[in-house]
Amino acid sequence: MTAEIECEQNKRVSVSREGWTPKIVMFCCNWCSYAGADGAGVARLQQETNVRVIRVMCSSRVDAVHIYTAFLEGADGVLITGCHLGDCHYVNGNEKTLVKYKFIKSMLDEMGIEDERLQLQWISASEGQQYAAFVNEMTEKIRKLGPSPFRKPEVI
Amino acid sequence: MTKVKVGDRLIGWSTNEEVRSNGGSGGLVTAVFAAALEKGLVDNVVVLEKANQFEAVPIITDSVEDVFNSAGSMHMLISNQTKYLQQFKNEASIALAVKPCDMRGIREQQKRNTIDSDKIFTVGLNCGGTMAPFKIREVVESVYEVDPDQVKGEEIEKGKLIIETFDGEHHSHSIDDLEVDDHGRRENCRYCTVKIATNSDLACGNWGVIGELSGRGTYVEVMTEKGAEFLQNAIDMKFAEVVEAPEKGTEIRGKVNGVMLKMAANTHKEVFKPIEGDKLEDLRKELENCIHCGACKEVCPVCACGVDAKCNKYYDPTDDYDISLYHLIRFLHLSDSCIGCGQCTDVCPADIPLTRLYRRFANPVQEELDYMPGMDDRTPPFFLTKLEELE
Repeated sequence: MTAEIECEQNKRVSVSREGWTPKIVMFCCNWCSYAGADGAGVARLQQETNVRVIRVMCSSRVDAVHIYTAFLEGADGVLITGCHLGDCHYVNGNEKTLVKYKFIKSMLDEMGIEDERLQLQWISASEGQQYAAFVNEMTEKIRKLGPSPFRKPEVI
Repeated sequence: MTKVKVGDRLIGWSTNEEVRSNGGSGGLVTAVFAAALEKGLVDNVVVLEKANQFEAVPIITDSVEDVFNSAGSMHMLISNQTKYLQQFKNEASIALAVKPCDMRGIREQQKRNTIDSDKIFTVGLNCGGTMAPFKIREVVESVYEVDPDQVKGEEIEKGKLIIETFDGEHHSHSIDDLEVDDHGRRENCRYCTVKIATNSDLACGNWGVIGELSGRGTYVEVMTEKGAEFLQNAIDMKFAEVVEAPEKGTEIRGKVNGVMLKMAANTHKEVFKPIEGDKLEDLRKELENCIHCGACKEVCPVCACGVDAKCNKYYDPTDDYDISLYHLIRFLHLSDSCIGCGQCTDVCPADIPLTRLYRRFANPVQEELDYMPGMDDRTPPFFLTKLEELE
């Protein structure tokens, strides 16, 4: 009996794909990408609705803690967007994001998390079109990948 | 003889005959420390005091006599001394003998402004690896079939671990054979790639001491201005004598190092072979016994965060995540700075092979950036502002 219980606890039940839609957390910088998202909305561009946008003042505000927490809480993908290099409202915030992103990416790779689940993209305030395209493209890619390995079955 | 300068390769020994024959390989390190203390170049010296035949504890002293009575080098001193130094808050100047990994820890702390490099003088000792005292105790009983309490001392020679008992007998076994059953050096030592402490002020060791000086002299490479000053001081005060190292000695030293590194590379391949199957599941399995005591962070020689660290602050025991944030954050923060000293594995009460896990994340990044933490004064890559500075 004990053995059975142990077995039950140690088994990671993979999330069934049935009735599953990807949950994506997206960090948008206040000065460019968030305005870009706004622009995409105002222009009534068709977008997938799986993305939850979190506004941050700068893409460099996104810490590894945020990304890991998102994954551990059941996100299937995390997208980070910021101003184009050289256009940062805080001089070089997005350069710092790049450094951090490189390390986190390498770590996720080492844990066997697919490349598409964490993506970084520069989107400026006027690029509503690109914003919508990026959201649609990533949602499609993550939908193909299936539920994140971090995701627990009980997470809806 | 001309003045000692940076880059000199010398063979030295203590002028005190007693120290020279009793101390390890000619007692040069003892002489340098004693001279520095006598002259007032440093306030304190860290020496080893034998706790028992298997273990020594580092003690800090300001008496020359204690320095002369110290235990010499040991193969079973596994603690990293970086964290001890932090306790002194740079109030006193300290001289100490270090393993390469100790020095790497000290260097990393200097970069993080917790240890003042002006206050520290280090003599680096060659290190082919260290062994956990409790394991050797077990081995002595099970493999050597000797009563552990009858052991007088240990020595490593030509790849063999020699145990000397009180009745004067020598028992030896090949370390390679011992390591098949994980009874030899600690795992991280087996794949460590720094055997000569070229990051310290003076890099000392017995590799490359040949001919009649063998066993009675120490090969020393002067790495910094400070090292030259301290060695010159010991010579001026007639505590030590040096001669130019013969070409052949230098060659042999390089060869020994080469052989060691080759062995390390083989072990590295073995330990870090690609994981088959679910990598995440593998990691989760390794960490599932973690009790979140935080000991691995406490001993980590490169961690300078203190109690208000991100890994502590954002981790909550009620999280119920597959892998706790504590580990994920530490894996990330150490991926550029892990020196592979093995302290975390040693202290882990749940026997998690933490060093291996940290190295698993650190290896690809450090290889790609060609960055060896603690070996030079480069800023840790994670602290850089621009990606171009990385390459």
